[in-house]
Order: sequence, then structure tokens, then C-alpha cells
Amino acid sequence: MAIELIYLTVALPLAGFLVNGLLGSRIKNEKAIGAIGAGVVGLSFVIVVMAFFETLGKPVAERTSVVELYSWLAAGDIGVSIAYQVDQLSLVMAMVVTGVGFLIHVYSIGYMHGDKAFWRFFAYLNLFIFAMMNLILADNFVLMFLGWEGVGLCSYLLIGFWYDKKFEKSTTSEAAKKAFVVNRIGDFGFLLGMFLILTTFGSLNFGEVFAGVAAAENVPPLTFELIAIFLFIGATGKSAQIPLYVWLPDAMAGPTPVSALIHAATMVTAGVYMVARTSIIYVNAPTALMVVAVVGLATAFFAATIGLVQNDIKKVLAYSTVSQLGYMFLALGSGAFVAGVFHVMTHAFFKALLFLGAGSVIHGMHEEQDIQKYGGLKKYMPRTYITFLIASLAISGIPPLAGFFSKDEILWYSFMNRGEIFWIVGAVTALLTAFYMFRLLSLTFYGKPRFDEAHTKPHESPYVMTVPLMILAVLSIVGGWIGIPEIFSGEHGNLFHSWLAPVFAEANLAHGAHPSHTTEILLMAISVAGAAGAAYLGYRMYSSSKKQPGELKGAAGAVHKLLFNKYYVDELYDATAVKPTVWTSRYLLWKFIDVGVIDGFINFLGSLVERLSGVLRKMQTGVAQFYAAIMTLGVAITILWIILSL
Amino acid sequence: MTLASVLFYFFATIAVAGGVLMVTRKNPVHAVLFLVLNFAGVAGVYLVLNAQFIAVVQIIVYAGAIMVLFLFVIMLLKLGGEESVFARQPFVKTLSIVIAALIGAQLTYVFFFAAPDKGTMVDMETGVYPGTVKAIAETLYTKYLLPFEAVGFTLVAATVGALVIGKKKLED
Amino acid sequence: MEFTLTDLTHLLPIVIVAASVLVAMTIDMFTKEADKTLGWFTALSLFAAAYVSLFFVDKTGVHLSGVVASGGATNILHFVFTFGAGVVALISMEYAKKTEMRVGEYYVLVLSSVLGMMLIAAAKDLAVIFVGLEQMSISFYALAGIRRKRDKSVEASLKYFLLGAFATGFVVYGMALIYGSSGTMALDTIRYAFPDLVSQPLFVLGLALFVIGFAFKIAAVPFHMWAPDVYQGSPTPVAGLMSTVGKAAAFAALLLIFRPVFDGAENALFPFLAIVATLSMLYGAIVAIAQDDLKRMLAYSSVAHAGYMLIGFASGEATGAAGVIYYLVAYAFMNLGAFGIIAMIESAEETNLKVQDYAGLGTRAPALAALLSLFMFALSGIPPLAGFFGKYYVFIAAVEGGATWLALVGVASSAISVYFYLRVVVVMYFGKSENRMEYSVSNVSLLGVTISAMLVILLGVLPGSIIKLIESFVR
Repeated sequence: MAIELIYLTVALPLAGFLVNGLLGSRIKNEKAIGAIGAGVVGLSFVIVVMAFFETLGKPVAERTSVVELYSWLAAGDIGVSIAYQVDQLSLVMAMVVTGVGFLIHVYSIGYMHGDKAFWRFFAYLNLFIFAMMNLILADNFVLMFLGWEGVGLCSYLLIGFWYDKKFEKSTTSEAAKKAFVVNRIGDFGFLLGMFLILTTFGSLNFGEVFAGVAAAENVPPLTFELIAIFLFIGATGKSAQIPLYVWLPDAMAGPTPVSALIHAATMVTAGVYMVARTSIIYVNAPTALMVVAVVGLATAFFAATIGLVQNDIKKVLAYSTVSQLGYMFLALGSGAFVAGVFHVMTHAFFKALLFLGAGSVIHGMHEEQDIQKYGGLKKYMPRTYITFLIASLAISGIPPLAGFFSKDEILWYSFMNRGEIFWIVGAVTALLTAFYMFRLLSLTFYGKPRFDEAHTKPHESPYVMTVPLMILAVLSIVGGWIGIPEIFSGEHGNLFHSWLAPVFAEANLAHGAHPSHTTEILLMAISVAGAAGAAYLGYRMYSSSKKQPGELKGAAGAVHKLLFNKYYVDELYDATAVKPTVWTSRYLLWKFIDVGVIDGFINFLGSLVERLSGVLRKMQTGVAQFYAAIMTLGVAITILWIILSL
Repeated sequence: MTLASVLFYFFATIAVAGGVLMVTRKNPVHAVLFLVLNFAGVAGVYLVLNAQFIAVVQIIVYAGAIMVLFLFVIMLLKLGGEESVFARQPFVKTLSIVIAALIGAQLTYVFFFAAPDKGTMVDMETGVYPGTVKAIAETLYTKYLLPFEAVGFTLVAATVGALVIGKKKLED
Repeated sequence: MEFTLTDLTHLLPIVIVAASVLVAMTIDMFTKEADKTLGWFTALSLFAAAYVSLFFVDKTGVHLSGVVASGGATNILHFVFTFGAGVVALISMEYAKKTEMRVGEYYVLVLSSVLGMMLIAAAKDLAVIFVGLEQMSISFYALAGIRRKRDKSVEASLKYFLLGAFATGFVVYGMALIYGSSGTMALDTIRYAFPDLVSQPLFVLGLALFVIGFAFKIAAVPFHMWAPDVYQGSPTPVAGLMSTVGKAAAFAALLLIFRPVFDGAENALFPFLAIVATLSMLYGAIVAIAQDDLKRMLAYSSVAHAGYMLIGFASGEATGAAGVIYYLVAYAFMNLGAFGIIAMIESAEETNLKVQDYAGLGTRAPALAALLSLFMFALSGIPPLAGFFGKYYVFIAAVEGGATWLALVGVASSAISVYFYLRVVVVMYFGKSENRMEYSVSNVSLLGVTISAMLVILLGVLPGSIIKLIESFVR
């Protein structure tokens, strides 16, 4: 039943978008708009959960079903349908998107209260959910790409939501533009991958393509590598990986719920989802898979180091997101597709919680985002504090919170399939994560207030904002328990694993070695101990210290400066890619070709038309005469052609 | 050359000459009179083609009624010598003449040299029946009833259009 | 000749519209405050005719001694004419009030022009095409000048009349030559004799002149020069009517005469069509860039769109004919929507027509701005809206017909045209505005525009099934 209704999870947000988008400015009532916006997503969530239990009740072999609405476009041999695929993977993603999405919608009712474009915000959010659900549930590449473009558009609209607001050196519109352009580069890769798939397998339908991959014998390995790399370029754009991660930190210019929903919990994981969905292609492309692993690991590490020293609360979380996304790609690259998707889910819980908590703090601190101007907020915002602490513990990988299980699984697989180096760098990244999270936590909630208490009066946020925080906090604690490793859970095995594994049945990497349980527990213990130690260090350094946090920088010196300026990557891109492009477009394309040639040509045409009408308008009938003459000239040439072709 | 051909060229020459003279006159009254000549020539051509009814209608309706109306309007409006619209644009004038001459030459070539025998030739000797009132009425009221009725609507549209644009005062 | 009840029911759409012309005149005669009544009467009777057209879409047949046809592609075109004109009636009500137009004659002429279009699409005989063409054209001449107190409107009317009569002359001359060389006016007879007839110079000449006459009506280069002046001078809803359903009617005539080519006969006019299509696409797209007046811009854009549709003819494929019909439906509604919004924004003195006047509309009238953006996206051919699939189908037909270069020119000109369509969107959302212009948004106009928007989206969401339906009638 519910599976057949799955299209409603797409249609409902669309309906919400239409109602709020078209009538929102007339409804005016914030409660009604919020109820519509959140309600449609909540309903979608209910349907997805029902579909989940229905699927769960089926035998494993029958858990994939395709709900075809209609054939959208048929031209020649290529048929593209509007069809939704319900299987284990899409259900997990759909539950995360609608579930977390619903909570964030509710939270937004409080956060966006009083905004002059309240209705527009909810319309965009619903449009986003619509596009995201298309991306997740699509049963073919074309529909997935439409969703992919759709979420990109919503991201652009929402980053620039406060389009007249100042952001850093420029405006939010600039940040939105940056996100848009960087994503376009990635999309180009995705498109190339799609075309290559079409020419190789003659179809864009998931089922047909994957069957073709499994049966392919005379497809050269290079083709697989190329398809995989092109698709991965798309993923690096959407999921903010090296080298295309630069847009995500700037995307924080948007309202905080947007950062939580789009730039932490859901949209940025689209790349992970896409690679997981096409896992069978990647397994046939070992080099590309290695690239995925290396890029993921490198991104995880670099972003974590940058996160160590940032002072904007949302920036820290943004780099943390980039870093965690790197973990997910590390998992995929290590052949641990289940672990990657598992981390997508747990990360959605605690990262959404962190962002919403940050939003609550920013809300309570009257739009102040600099953590150097926080301090001691614990007593002002107890509910926000507790939930933020839980999320910080979860992301730091402290057992038995959600982050521990997923992160540990990733590290374990990287150790098994990729070797010690991967594990070491991954574990160090985990330490860094714990450190910067507790630095953030301490600077914000502990110590003495560093703001003018007489002037700024921090306040706890209303329940409409904090209740979603509490729900997410509970999920951040228990969310990992469905994925307890076999060594602890005994005969039940890893529940999450046994649920998702059939999707990746064809995509098993041969395990290099099978280290003993002792090794597994040992590695686990090392990473947990390290994370706990780093967390404590972060707490000690930043909470009890009487020094102003600004002075702490001194010790770090040049390294600090390098990190603080994010390895100067923005500047590097600016100098090597943006400036030359702008220069070419401005001086060569614009000044010369555009202004010189095209404008000249158009000006010529324009002035020709103008002069013509200038001459002819003096005599009204003259115009018609001339028109008739031109017409007859056309006739004369036509007859001439007929005569000549006799 | 048969008598029919001789008559055809005779009337055709009158029609063409009337047309050319009409277009080139500066005085509107002269132009209208040459238009009457043109209509008379065309009516003659119809006669040669065994289309007696249309020939008569051409004379009665066009050369008679409509031309009289034209003359009335022109005389009532007291139009003076028409200022040629081409006077200020010699280029457009030259262009028009060249194009017209070109098309005339081309059509002549097609009709006389490229395809004189390929068209469907109707035998003129089959009789005068197709051009009679009876034959036309039969066709109009049976086969072409629908277009015939539709022309009624066309006339309505034309009348309404003429009224709405031309009438001096419309009560508002 | 027999005339039965079956004939009457199958021709019901035409009968409804013809009767509405007479009823509308009567209403105008006996009602004092006829504005609203007549507007709604016109809209509803047109929508009723549209519904009936679709209802009888599978009732194919010929009637009245074989001079008119019903069912199939004819009824799809009838649907476009009546439904499109119905939307025009909706967007006209507010406009007529604002500009104090003569409503009585206005709606009578709108209905009577639709009657002409329906005759063209249903024709099985050249005489019917001609009568329909005259019916439509004469109504248009008068409609263009219906704001007779404004010089521009009268000027547009006169220009259109002079040049239109000139073009009609070519159509008649072409018909005479076709009759002279084939000995018949019946389209079906011509259709079966076509493969033999194309070897006759007189027939090809007649065909060419016939096509030239209608190329004037669709505003294809170089027979397009009237279009910008007339669209600009005419009342906005009239410009919408002429540029959408009026153009569709002219294409219907071309579809009829090219029927044998779509059946597989030699495309005798291919070079002519290809060159006219190329010129239209490029000229329309390039000159539109230089336009500041939205109505003029849309006029040039309509020149370009005529070019795209001619590609479908040049392809000489049955899929091309289906693509043209699909394109006609799509184009009619995206253009009507745009004209509807322009009519709302426009002031009674015909100001607020410049692109710059739309600056800041995105914040002041978000719904209007969003709708106009939708139509601009659709016109520029951005998927998944109606315009994209229209172009897609005619381009595919061109490739299948071996005229790939023509499709490439089409793609290039689409790329150019994105600039001026999106300029409107950019100005609306990012432009700085000094003047806070007044505009009147009436619910009726909004209804008309919303219906168009829904069709534009629907055609983009369901293109597969619609094109299949059309193709089943064209083959």
C-alpha cells in the first residue's frame, strides 16, 4: 500500500511549495504557512516510514519495487519514465530527509518568526524537499539529475535568501553565486558521466544500466574508470570534496535552518548517495574507487585542520561537515558502502542538531556568530547546551553515541581494505574533530561571558525550536544502535548491515586481510581513547583558561595563520582559476568579442532598424510600402529559385 | 491564332494598360476612371473564358456600383493632387519598380517558356454551360454551401470592423 | 449533398463558435452594461467549443460534400484556437475596462476570427481555406485598430490591412495556379496526385506562392516586417491573439497543403523552407536582443518561433508534422501567458512596456514575476517546460529527415534567444527600480494566465503521451 503511494512523498512537498509559493503572500498567517510547510513534510515522513515497514515485512529478495507513474519522454530508443524506486537504500535516505527535514521545518517556524519573507522561506524549503526526494527515489539517471539540479537551485535560492545582507567581504548573493558556479562544474562531470553511460549501455535506467554493468564483458575497463571519475566529479561538487569544497563554508551565509537541512544533513550527502547507488560501477573501476578513498581521506583531514582555528560558529561547523563528508567518501572508497550510508544517517542527526543548536545560540545572542564573543552561555540556554553537548560527544565518536558506531566502522574498513596509513590519518582526523568540537563547545558555553552582559541579554529559544533539538539529541544517542558491530551484538549481527547489504551484494570488494577481533577492539580502543583525550584537551584549553581566546593564537604562530586562512585555497583558486577566467571573459570575451564584435553587430543592426524607422516614420504609409517591397523581393527570389531549378 | 485568342489579348491589354495608368495617375479621379477601364478589360477576359455571369457581375458591381461610390467619396473629400509617397524615397521607388519588373519577367518566362503545355487545358468548345447562373448557383448551393455561408460571416466581420474603425461617433 | 445530424454533431465546435458570433452581437445590442457579460459569454462559449473539440477528437470524417473535415489533428487545432482565444477573452476583460475599449465589437470580432481559423483547420478544399483566411484576417485588421482613438492602433490596423491584403493576393494567385495545374480544388485529390504534380513548374510556383502568403501570416523572414509594428500598435490582448492562435491557423493551412510531403512525397520546397526557417530563427533572435519594448521583443521572438516550426516542415517527416502541432500548442500558451501579464502591467496610456519598467517586480508582485519568469523560461526552451519539448520534437524530426544542420542552426539561435528572455527575469529580480508603477491585477486576468501556466507545465510534464496522441492522428 504505502509503497504504491510513495509518489505522494514527492507530490506533497510540491503541493506545499505551490500553496505557500503562490498564496503565501496572501495567507500572511505565519502559523498557517508553517503548518502547511512542515505538515506536508511530516506526512511524507509518515508515508516513508509505512513503506519502510511494508518493505521490512517482505522477503529480502523482493524488497526492491519500482513505482512507475508514467512515461515522461519517449524518443527513439531512449525512454525516460517518471518512476520511483523503493528499496533499502532509497528508504534509508528518504527517512533521513523527510524525518530530519520535518524537524528542521518545525524549528524554522520559530527561527524565521517575523521575517518579512516567511512564506517564501517555507516555499523554498518545500521545493527543496521535493527535488531531494526526486533525487533519492529516482529510478533513472535523468530524473536523478533533475532532482540534482533542483536541489542545487534551491540551495542557491536559500543561500541568497537574505540577498541584501552583508556576508564577510561581500554579500550573500555572492556566496550564493559561488555555490552555484562551483556546483555547475561538478554537474558538468555528472552530465559527461551520464552521456558515457548512455552511449555504453544504451539506457539511463538504473536497473538496465546495472544489469548491463554486471553482464558487461567487452566493455573496456577504462570506460568504467571514466564513468566513475566523471560521476565522482559531480559528487565532489555537490558533496563539497577537494577540490570543489570551497562553496560550502560560504554557503553558511544562508539562514541557519538551511545550513542544517541542506548544507549538513541532506543535500551535501547526495554525492555519497549517488556513489553508493552506482556502487557496482565503482567496484568495476578500482582506480576510481581508490581516488574516491584518497580524496575523501584528504578532505576529511584538511577540513578538520581548518576547523581547528575558525572563530565563526557556523564556519567551524561547515568545515566539520566537509570533513565528515570526507569520512563518508573514505568509507565508499574503502568498499564499505553500508558504513558510508550509515555515517550519512548518524551525521544527519548530530550535524543537524549542531547547526540547529548554533542557530539557537545565534538567535539568543542577537545574530552574533563570533565564538570569541560568547562564553558562559550554559546558564542562559540550558536546553540548547545539553543537546549541543550530546551532539559534540556524538561527532567526537564517544561510545555509545551514534557517531562512534558509524565512524568506527569506517575506520575499521579503511584499515582492512586500504591499509594502516588510511587508518592512522582517519584516526588523527577523529582526534582533531573531537578537539575542535570541544573548543567550540567550551568557548560558547563554558568560562566567563565575553560579551557585555548589561547590553546583550542572551535568552533560551522557544520550545518550537528546542523540542526538535531534543528529538535530534535522542536520535544522536540511540541512532547508532542499529549498527552495532557484530563483535558486540553477537548473534543478531549488525542490523543496519543486514538491511542494506543486499543493495550492495554485487559490489563486494575482496577483503584484503581478515584481522582478528582483538585487532578490531584494539583499534577501536585507541581511537576512542584518543578522541576522549583530545576532547578533554579542548575543554581544558578553552574553558578554564582565564586568558582571552584571542591570545591563544600566539603559540600556534605560522601554522595557525595558515589554518586560519584555510590554506589560502580561496586565494589560490582566485589567482589560478577565477582571475584568469574573469580576465578572459572581461577583456577577451567581453571587451573584445562582446563589446567589439557582438555589441557592434547588434548596435549596427539596432541602428539600422532605428535609422530605417527614422526615415520611414516621417511618412506613415512609406513604411508599409517598403515592407511590401521587401516582401516582393522575397517572392522574386523564390520564383528565381524555381526557374533555376526547373 | 483563333478569334478567342485575339479577343483574349485585346481585353488583357486593356486590363493591364488600365492598371498601369491607374497606378501612375496623380489625380485620384483620373485614377478611378482608369480603374473602371481595367475592370472592363477584366470583364472581357471573363467573357472569353465562358464566365458570362461573373463578367456581368464584374461590370454591374465593380465597374458600376463600387466605382461610383469611390468617385463620390473622392469628390466629397475634395482630394487635391495626390502627393506621391515615393517622392521622398527615390530608393524605395526604384527598388519597387525593379522588383515588379523582375517578377513580371519571371512569370512571363514560366508561363510562356517553361511550362506552356504542362497545365491542365480546359477545352473551350465544351460549351457555355459552366459559366451560366444556373451552373454557378448549383455549385454554390450544393458543394460549396459551407464556404458560401461562411462568406456571410466574413461580410459581418467586415461590416463590424468598418463600423468600429470608421464611424465618427460611437455612443459610449 | 446531404446534411445529417452526425455532420452537425461532428462540426459542433464550429457551429458553437458561429452561433456565438451572432449571440454576442445580440447581447451587445440589448444589454447596456455589456462589458462583463460579453467577456464571460465569449470565454465560456470558446471553452465549451474547446471541450467539444477534444470530446470529438476521435470522430474523424468529412462532411458537406467533402469540403470540411472533423476529428483528429483538425480537432486538436480547434482546441488550440478556441482554448487560446478563451484565455484571450479572460485577459481582455480587465484590459478593456482599463483602456475603455469598445467591448461589443471587440468580442464579436474575436469570435469571428476564431471561426475563420477553425474553417482553415477543417478545410478539405482550397476555397474553404481562402474563406477562412479572409474571415480571420478581416477580423484581425479591425481588432488591431479597435482602440481607434489612438493613432498607433489605427496605424497598425491600416498597415496590417494593406500588407495583409497584399499577402492574400499571393495566396489566391497560388491557389489559381494550383487549380490550373491540377484541375481541382479538393485537397485530397491534390494530395494523391502530388507526386506527379511536383514535376510541373506551374504547380510548384503555385505552391510557393501559397506558402509565401501564409509565411506572411506566420511572420517568417522576409515576410515578417509588419509584425513588430502591428504587435506593438495593437491592443496587447489582440497582439496575443494574433501571435499565437492566429499564427497557429496559418500553420494549419501549411500543414494541409504539405500533407503529401509528410506522407513521404518529395519535399519540392525544401530549400525555400530551410532558408526561410534559418533566416527567421537567426533574424528573430538577433534583433530581439536590441529591443527594449516587450511587445516588440515578443514580436521578434515570434518571428524566431515561426522559424523553429518551419523546421518541422523542412524535415518532411511525419514526426515533424506532429512536432509542429505540439509546438503550436506549447507556443500558444506560453506566449499568451506572457502577453496576459504584459496586459496587466501595462497602463491605459500604453506605458510600462519597457523591460526596465519591470525592475523590482520580483519583490513587489512576486506571483506575477514568478509566472512571467515561467513563461520566459518556457519560451527560451529550458526543460522541463513546454517550449523545450516543442523544439526537441522539431529538431529530432529535422535530424531524422537528414537536415541536421537545420537543427544545429535552431540550437544556436535558441542559445542566442536565452539572452533576451532571461534578461526580463534578471531585471525583474535584480534590477533597481526608481518608478513605482501602478498595475492592475484582476482575478480574471490572473485566472487566464494561470491556466496558460498550468498548460505550459503540463505539456512539459506529459510530453510523451501528448505527442503520441498527436502522432496517431498525423499518420
